[in-house]
Amino acid sequence: MKTWIKIGIGLAIAGIIGALVVYKFIYNKPHPDYETETADFRTEAKQLFSDFKSDETAAGQKYNGKVIEISGIPTSIEDADSMLIVVFAFEEGMFGNEGIRVTMLPKFNDPGKKISTSETVTLKGFCTGFNDTDVILEKGSIVK
Amino acid sequence: MKTSSTLIIAVLMLGNIAFAQKSITKTGSVSFFSTSPMENIEAHNKQVNAALDVATGDFVFKILIKSFEFEKALMQEHFNENYMESDKYPNATFQGKVTNLSSIDFTKNGEYDVEVQGKLTIHGVTKDVTEKGKFIVKDGTVQGLSKFNVKVADYDIKIPKAVVNNIAEAIEVTVDVKMNPLK
Repeated sequence: MKTWIKIGIGLAIAGIIGALVVYKFIYNKPHPDYETETADFRTEAKQLFSDFKSDETAAGQKYNGKVIEISGIPTSIEDADSMLIVVFAFEEGMFGNEGIRVTMLPKFNDPGKKISTSETVTLKGFCTGFNDTDVILEKGSIVK
Repeated sequence: MKTSSTLIIAVLMLGNIAFAQKSITKTGSVSFFSTSPMENIEAHNKQVNAALDVATGDFVFKILIKSFEFEKALMQEHFNENYMESDKYPNATFQGKVTNLSSIDFTKNGEYDVEVQGKLTIHGVTKDVTEKGKFIVKDGTVQGLSKFNVKVADYDIKIPKAVVNNIAEAIEVTVDVKMNPLK
């Protein structure tokens, strides 16, 4: 076989492998596993809410897009359209209760329903921001 | 004494009426769909705050950009970091009014065509918008439904030339918010 044909075949194989690698690990890379991600911050639920209420911009720059572990006593557990939301309410506002809302990962929907509203729980979730009424944590999991 | 007691009771009752006229949700749904010859892209957000004052027609939305979920993690990254710059502009808002309030009977179950006018802010850019939709009134709840297009260029969202063929110029936005009376 001529050398230029060998080079051509080699380049084609390398190109195909490269494309597969890009597809698998970049274009089609999986979403982060927020249950196993290490928390960027650990804080009391009330402290996190206070940080956003006192300076939304500064708190947003610090917490938005980060994994946060919070501890506190939940005030209610909401079951809404296949989402389980653990609520830590601290104030009353134009949208009713205001506080922190943790939307649990689906695998924590059943254990989440057993969370007590009279005992401290520690949850971890991905902070998407503050919507004027609540701090939103998503992909929530139970730490303890 | 009697007069002041009556006044206090009247003020408290008025407060309750005003309170009861607001319907809200914190789990409203907003999704968008982009179709192009290269690929279809869609994302969903089920954590939308919406409030409707059925007495005045005031209607507000607040949407956290980072709450949009995509099938592909890479698309979600690009959406937040490159296009919507969600660290800089963490939310989108709508603040407006239902313009045909008199044609809706919130005490009677049924479907009502609605027109909403107001200011839509996305990516830090505010535009006046008028959109049509539907309210489904059922036993006190108000479900707001609408589908409309948003041109990405109107909101100063820059799409890199390398992927300009992958993203539609106008994104179809679907709104579904089921609001319950604020207790």
